[in-house]
Amino acid sequence: MFRKQTLSEMIEELKKDNRVAYWHEIEEQPASIVPFPDKMDERIKAALEKRQITGLYTHQASAFASVMNGENIVAVTPTASGKTFCYNLPVIQRHIHRPTARALYLFPTKALAQDQKSEINEFIDDIDIQINSYTYDGDTPANIRQVVRKAGHIVITNPDMLHSAILPHHTKWISLFENLETVVIDELHTYRGVFGSHVANVIRRLKRICRYYGSQPTFICTSATIANPAELCKELIGENARLIANNGAPKGKKHFILYNPPIVNKQLNIRKPATKVVNELAASFLKERIQTIVFSRSRVSVEVILSHLQELVQGELSRKTIRGYRGGYLPNQRREIERSLRNGETIGVVSTNALELGVDIGQLQVCIMNGYPGSIASSWQQAGRAGRRMDESVVIMVANSSPLDQYLFQHPEFFFDGSPETARINQDNLIILVDHLKCAAYELPFACGEDFGGTQVEEILEYLAEERVLHYQRNKWYWMNDAFPAHNISLRSAAQENVVIIDQSAVEKHRVIGEMDTFSAMTLLHEEAIYLHEGTQFQVEYLDWEEKKAYVRKVDVEYFTDANLAVQLKVLAVDKEKELGSSRLEYGDMMVTAMATIFKKLKLETFENIGSGKIHLPEMELHTNGVALSLGGEEIISLKEDVLEQLLIGLAHVLQHVACVRVMCDKGDLHAVPEVKAVHSEKPTVFLYDRYPGGVGLSDSVYKQFANIVADAVHFVSACPCDNGCPSCTGLAGANSGLSVKTLIVNTLAEVIGR
Amino acid sequence: MNVKAKLQRMKGHMRLEHSGETEDKNRLQEAAEKAAGNVAADDELAELWGKLGFKPFYLEEQRSFQKRSFYTFADMKRPDLGRELQEVYERWGNLALDHPLSSRNVPLERMMFFDTETTGLSTGAGNSIFLIGYARVHDDGVEVTQHMLAEPSSEAAFLYGFLQEFHDDDYLVSYNGKAFDWPQVKSRHVFVRDQVPRLPAFGHIDLLHAARRLWKHELPSCRLSVVEREKLSIRRLHDTPGSMAPLLYYDYLHENKPDHLRGIIEHNDQDVRSLIHLYVAISQRLFQCARPASVTEQIQLGKWCEQTGWEEAAVSHYEKALEIPGSGKEAAHFQLGRIFKKQKRYQEATAQFINSISVSSTPLAEGFIELAKLHEHQEKSYERAHYFSREALRCLKASQKLTSAKRKLIKDVEKRIERLEGKLRGSSSFHNMS
Repeated sequence: MFRKQTLSEMIEELKKDNRVAYWHEIEEQPASIVPFPDKMDERIKAALEKRQITGLYTHQASAFASVMNGENIVAVTPTASGKTFCYNLPVIQRHIHRPTARALYLFPTKALAQDQKSEINEFIDDIDIQINSYTYDGDTPANIRQVVRKAGHIVITNPDMLHSAILPHHTKWISLFENLETVVIDELHTYRGVFGSHVANVIRRLKRICRYYGSQPTFICTSATIANPAELCKELIGENARLIANNGAPKGKKHFILYNPPIVNKQLNIRKPATKVVNELAASFLKERIQTIVFSRSRVSVEVILSHLQELVQGELSRKTIRGYRGGYLPNQRREIERSLRNGETIGVVSTNALELGVDIGQLQVCIMNGYPGSIASSWQQAGRAGRRMDESVVIMVANSSPLDQYLFQHPEFFFDGSPETARINQDNLIILVDHLKCAAYELPFACGEDFGGTQVEEILEYLAEERVLHYQRNKWYWMNDAFPAHNISLRSAAQENVVIIDQSAVEKHRVIGEMDTFSAMTLLHEEAIYLHEGTQFQVEYLDWEEKKAYVRKVDVEYFTDANLAVQLKVLAVDKEKELGSSRLEYGDMMVTAMATIFKKLKLETFENIGSGKIHLPEMELHTNGVALSLGGEEIISLKEDVLEQLLIGLAHVLQHVACVRVMCDKGDLHAVPEVKAVHSEKPTVFLYDRYPGGVGLSDSVYKQFANIVADAVHFVSACPCDNGCPSCTGLAGANSGLSVKTLIVNTLAEVIGR
Repeated sequence: MNVKAKLQRMKGHMRLEHSGETEDKNRLQEAAEKAAGNVAADDELAELWGKLGFKPFYLEEQRSFQKRSFYTFADMKRPDLGRELQEVYERWGNLALDHPLSSRNVPLERMMFFDTETTGLSTGAGNSIFLIGYARVHDDGVEVTQHMLAEPSSEAAFLYGFLQEFHDDDYLVSYNGKAFDWPQVKSRHVFVRDQVPRLPAFGHIDLLHAARRLWKHELPSCRLSVVEREKLSIRRLHDTPGSMAPLLYYDYLHENKPDHLRGIIEHNDQDVRSLIHLYVAISQRLFQCARPASVTEQIQLGKWCEQTGWEEAAVSHYEKALEIPGSGKEAAHFQLGRIFKKQKRYQEATAQFINSISVSSTPLAEGFIELAKLHEHQEKSYERAHYFSREALRCLKASQKLTSAKRKLIKDVEKRIERLEGKLRGSSSFHNMS
């Protein structure tokens, strides 16, 4: 009789697959439990016992003890390890101890906040004490807001609301700020890069307001595994925090499989596209009705995979059982998808990293990643989506041809034994700092000599006074402007404004289906672009750049579009420089101008180019920090221009990828641009720069680690099995008759580090 | 690294709040130095404020400025205002009804006609009040008091001066004060609450709510200046619009020239006096001691009275609406019908509803629906009820926009029609069988 295969049968089959590059088994781990702490109130113990909980996991007990001691903590907890008890238990205990005590919970998204509210309320009901916990977000009705302000013992919100609705109106929140004992920051690791730098400043503002009202809260943070949780926590909250990492939760057995698609063009070392392989693997699990999540990096690829999967399993499963999930979807749609995942109606989901966060979608059995997600921490977060409980689970990472993926697959130890990424923030990024100083001055005048989270800001305040935003009088700076600064500052994106996407398929019923930051919009929402939204193709008919609106209409075509961005760099000021052999490395302020030039239409099945067009959009400017490597050396100078060009493109490609691994950032955050004759040095130059205005410290880190980065690059390119360079090492389809870009790159880089 | 140079370079990425004029840094520097606490400049400033009629008021080292002006009713070109106010005041005193405009049990001299000027329109902590003004009515005229925040650092003195004159038994009359001015006072009070008395618990009449009820359908906006011009026939000459207040205040701070604020001070003074006119005018309309203005206004007055449980006055407003010329009377008939129906005066109610559907070429569907209800439940005349229901449906379906409320009405009417048809069929089939 025909029957569905089980997961273990499929595991056995996979073991025979010769494309598996590496198989890593993570053994199951029993729970490590200690008795309830003596200090814990009997009522809390009783409520726990009612849930058949007779002790705490070791990390929960440590968290409880430290917080009761008044220490800040950062608890590193993998998915499904009962992290909520790390903060809920001490907060409730503190409330029992002092009933006026208030707590503020910060979750990175509204959805997580909603989840948490129901969870903590259920628990409070079991304890039978009077603790009011409320969410406070954009959806909270006005009449409830008043209640929350006056009587919310636990206020659950997100950094954006704290930034734009709570802090600027602190005079309405006196009882919260006067009695604030605990601040909970969940998913700490998400507060990195630009977002983290913003949030660190919001916390500075929060602490400033707390001081004003005479409170000094303890911080409880939880984080996924990253290399530097304690350091990140310290930078974010501006205080030391005790690291709690003794996880005592049980784990099920997990198979972590690195899967390398077969080489289809031996000469060029081209592999079968990862997307296709992901499609096949996912379909094989879905056909057996095994709940599977697929992660892909870009919004476009999510949509492409989704439409393929829906087709592949057509007939066996209904369209609704496989869903997409990504940032551009509107909140209601996302909530609905989360629900149907939890109740099992949806068995397959294709997602961007939007689902990395702890949104509760229940447990899935299989997780497939389309390419390396860009960071080790991210990979483990995504892998945690499979097997949240104690069952066996499978995680498959499918490599694409990029050097980073191939590098990782060559060195699996880097992934399994190496430390995960360091999360970086730069809370003193000038642009971000100025933004939040304005907000802080709006909230409370600055006194002469007052610092801002340890940073001296007098010069900036003087500047703002000169710009007539502040007014200086009797040793204080007062906000004197009719604007509401927090409304102009978004914590989430570098770009000032988002482009709204409007579907005009139905003439009288235009509707907004999503939004996108302006920088991405240049290449994804230009006129004639094919924009994919939940598996449906839309063509952009009109992009109103002034009004930031893109009008799209449903279409059904066989291709997708890919746009080119022409980038130019100017060095504005050099802060640091050093000689490297006959080359020179500089670090400093740069101006990047970017312009979308042309787009190509590529056939969905074969990726073959079937047409192109021009893009008419204004240039965009970005002031940031970057490094410039200018090449000297006689061999370089004697190269023919086309050879030189290929060398530089290859160098940029390699350096960018290796640097991203070294400074541990997403490829999208650190850009690389080659120029045959740079304006500032008149020499062949490779630039690496931070993608965010003002920089978030990545290129600074590149400058400091440059020798290591070059050494890694040399090693990586030489170790690649190709002959003359290939898409996965030098990034070029390469092998221009007789020319070995590979050797050129290796020699050039070796000269730079003096080998 | 030079932070300022970098700031200039990155200016393009910053969302700097727009300011009127920026350059001329020397002048600004000068102003800043002057403001930094130089005694000679202080005296000079006090002298300049003196020229505008303001006297200093001290709280420890802090200093704010106050001005008192007195206007006889003749000065205000409304010699009857005092008498008229007295008259409506007495009427309120005699009306045992909890009306939002009622001044019953409030001594007349405790009524404070109140308005503020602020440094911005947002309601957050960074928005300051720099001018508080209020008018009190005396036998012979109106006294206007204004408190000025001459320096942002003197907020305690500023609010202290105000709170000295403001007590629990005062009664505030404002224009949008419930949503804006008073929350703003509360917010500012938080910053100096250790240095000044607590805020009193007082009564508050917000005339914006009243103006909206009466005129939101006829006026393009219910801003005080519009209401003043259209309904109080007050013409202001050379008025400085209130929206200029923030910018003018920044100019004053930067240049230390109180003269910049002259226009705004006059504007505030005029505003608080206008509130007296407005209070009188709206009260007179409620008590019908003024000539009725328009059908719409009478109907709005009636509706407002109904909502505040003042049925008797409502009936009389609706009846007044029917007496004066103008269109829109169907609504008055309809409202009267509803009141009569509630009072179980079904005959009269039916008559009003019939009028409501016959006086206008565009009758209200609601009139038909009410008639259908009366015929179904009171008269038990299902055929007529059925007829009126069909008419209601026709009316509803002919309307331009289908709101969700309308859609619900349609559903209800369709249900009624179905039920009535059942009843009609039931009785006829019974006849057939027999």
